[in-house]
Amino acid sequence: MQPQTIWQRMLSIDRRLLYLLLFVNIVAFLVAPIRMTASISPPVQKFYDEIEKLKPGDLVMISSNWSASTLAENQPQLEAVLNHLMRKGVRFTFISIEAQSRDISYRLAERVTSAAGYKYGEQWAHFGFVPNLTVAIKGMVNDLPSTIKQDVRGTPIEKLPVLHGVKSLRDYQMVIDVTPSNTVPVWISYSPKELRILYCPTSVMAAEAYTYLDSGQIKGMITGAKGAQEYEQLLGIRGLGAPFANAISFSHVLIIIFILLGNFAMLMQRRYERREV
Amino acid sequence: MTYQHAQDNWFAAFVIGFIALAVLINILRARVGAQLYIRRIPGLDAIDEAIGRSTELGRPVTMIPGLTSFGVVAVQALTIFKYITQQIARFATPMRLLTGDPTVFAVAQEAIYDAYNEAGRPDLYDADNIRFLSDRQFAFASGVAGLIQRERVAASFMFGEFFAESLIFAETGNMVGAIQIAGTTSFTQVPFFVAACDYTIIGDEFYATSAYLSREPVLLGSLVGQDIAKLFFALTAVGGAIIASIAGTDAPIIKLLGQPGGWDAFFGGGK
Amino acid sequence: MTPLTHLIAQSIWRLPETLSKDQRYLYASLIVLGAFVLVLGLIPVLQTLPPRGRRAVIVTVTFLAGLFFAAEFFLPVDWRSIFPKDDPTRNFLTPAIQPAQNVLQIIGALALGLGTYGLVRLHLRNVVQKRTQWGYSVVLLVAFVTMATFSIWNTLAEKELVKKTPFVERGFSILFDFTLVQLDAAMFSLIAFYIFSAAYRAFRIRSVEASILMFTAMVVMIGVVPLGAYISYTLLGLPQGPAPADADLWTRILHSAGLPTIANWVLTTLNAPVQRAIEFGVGIGGLAMAIRLWLSLERGVT
Repeated sequence: MQPQTIWQRMLSIDRRLLYLLLFVNIVAFLVAPIRMTASISPPVQKFYDEIEKLKPGDLVMISSNWSASTLAENQPQLEAVLNHLMRKGVRFTFISIEAQSRDISYRLAERVTSAAGYKYGEQWAHFGFVPNLTVAIKGMVNDLPSTIKQDVRGTPIEKLPVLHGVKSLRDYQMVIDVTPSNTVPVWISYSPKELRILYCPTSVMAAEAYTYLDSGQIKGMITGAKGAQEYEQLLGIRGLGAPFANAISFSHVLIIIFILLGNFAMLMQRRYERREV
Repeated sequence: MTYQHAQDNWFAAFVIGFIALAVLINILRARVGAQLYIRRIPGLDAIDEAIGRSTELGRPVTMIPGLTSFGVVAVQALTIFKYITQQIARFATPMRLLTGDPTVFAVAQEAIYDAYNEAGRPDLYDADNIRFLSDRQFAFASGVAGLIQRERVAASFMFGEFFAESLIFAETGNMVGAIQIAGTTSFTQVPFFVAACDYTIIGDEFYATSAYLSREPVLLGSLVGQDIAKLFFALTAVGGAIIASIAGTDAPIIKLLGQPGGWDAFFGGGK
Repeated sequence: MTPLTHLIAQSIWRLPETLSKDQRYLYASLIVLGAFVLVLGLIPVLQTLPPRGRRAVIVTVTFLAGLFFAAEFFLPVDWRSIFPKDDPTRNFLTPAIQPAQNVLQIIGALALGLGTYGLVRLHLRNVVQKRTQWGYSVVLLVAFVTMATFSIWNTLAEKELVKKTPFVERGFSILFDFTLVQLDAAMFSLIAFYIFSAAYRAFRIRSVEASILMFTAMVVMIGVVPLGAYISYTLLGLPQGPAPADADLWTRILHSAGLPTIANWVLTTLNAPVQRAIEFGVGIGGLAMAIRLWLSLERGVT
């Protein structure tokens, strides 16, 4: 058998070596004390400006549908957004579409709100999870208290001061969808027209949302962990977004280097084969 | 006002009616014998090649509708899988259909049973080959990846709606050297399938698949109707862009097309 | 005058509010029992039908079910010209949407039982017959039984139907928080590694189209992360961050040449329209398929 050239060996590199390199790269840049200034992308700036327009006491619905798998992207987003909402003094309620997202968002909100002195029931509440988002939105538009009935702690909705006088989703000013799933089209389709929709997707889902941004159906978007870093920068806080975005940045660089190396090896191998012929 | 009913924007209701009419008229045309043309889709021509390879190697074929919940996408995926099963039944090639939705699982059992029956090989049907693994995304993904690895499948067909698990399926299939054909309506997963699969069917090609494979007049007619509807959309977009450029985005005609209650400006509704 | 929708909603889709709690439970139980008996009674009747008759039943039920959702969407909602006190946001079918969706969920739950039964039966057979790799089946069955036991126990304890013990709480926490959740996260993170190997293999300059795709991907990959901005602005000799509002023309031109601006342009000007076009196609395809299913013109799996 003809011995393999170095270029052939490069082209058929053991994928486990690639995985090891990526792993080391992620860990190293996650802990490295490098902090780069992010360039604020237009969708993040729009998101920030929309929340800035809110007045104290306005009501916001947070649809939190992420669980442990996408924690690295959705947690920094939600933490940054909650910080901004509390800074503006607005009221907010949570809703999820499955049990794990309910538990994670409830625990996170409890931690972040208690640190800021925000009171459960008076300034925020969690509705638990609904199995079918479309039905829940339609129901909340018609009659919110009878659709939700009770909050995550078992308190009837009517007894929560934060929802005093709230009859429908029309009484809200904004929806913020923090999600790795395709839930934002459901909010766009079924929620009241006056309700402004903001979106916090994972990076992979963001590509799909630019059409809605263009049409104004979504008013702003925070894209994954790197969007969270931009938002933290706008708020002037230090959160999880910056180290996560750091690891992502340098992983992209590693991937690009290897794509270039692969192409270089392919060209050299072709040249070698032509010379052999 | 919400987007919950036709009355919220009659134009949207009109568009739905127009598409329905275009589809139904062309189905009727096809039924009375009109000759309709469908272009080549290379990914679908490769189905027979993939089945042939599995047969040669004596290794199974996997069919994965992913986590697609029961609806039009799932029915389309199962129609494709039924066709593939009819083909593999001729060579008695082993198959596995793996789903993450229990309703799809129940319907898939019937569809695959029918496929073997129609191919004249009901003896080959084994209910254990159609498996519901889990409705949790990554439990399902690990189940599929494990099966692909253990059984070293020779061909993998992924049709339906996919989410983050798509690359796990496709890259695992690539590791075991399977021929992979994917078709999805999930735009965000297309790059992953393109990178890791041999053939990828994108967007509405997915809905054209059954027409392409069966050449049934009803399906071909429906496809022509869909193309007419697409032409209408394209003309509306171009026309809208021209009108908006001349008359501005606040022009009543633009509001009519793009906003709930857009008719009010014309008919004096006061909501 | 009693509003039309309210009247119909109260009399047809919901039990009257005037009933006491016990009466409501009694009526609800009777309705459930009645529906159960009706369905059980229908099964033998349907089985005696010839295939053509069965098909006619399926076609009729499919059409009526589709008609219900279509009528709910297309019927006007505002009936105030006839009934001034009527709710203008819904028609008389709207209140039935929720019960209809509940029925769909019940069907889904029944199917879940069917799927789980199939899964357990397959793995039990694997173990009993000691088929190849039957050890994996043991793992699945043990995990299935343990998780189900703790999960049901914990749910009952949360609803205060059984006593909550530290053993249950701790056991559930170990299985859910420290096992399932972590395994979920691990599986998701695999994607990062897989995209690396897939990109290394796939992004090759084999043709003009492939080269354009590769270079565009690289520009977007580096342009959307902070490092892209840092490299661009350093090379262009600009301060970090977006162009100031009062920047001169030359500075604005330089900013436009930066990777973040180019990446954003690719995403919004190239990606978005292409995607919109594909989505139109997918939407129209889905609608056409739905019409064929509704009118039973689709012969695939129906």
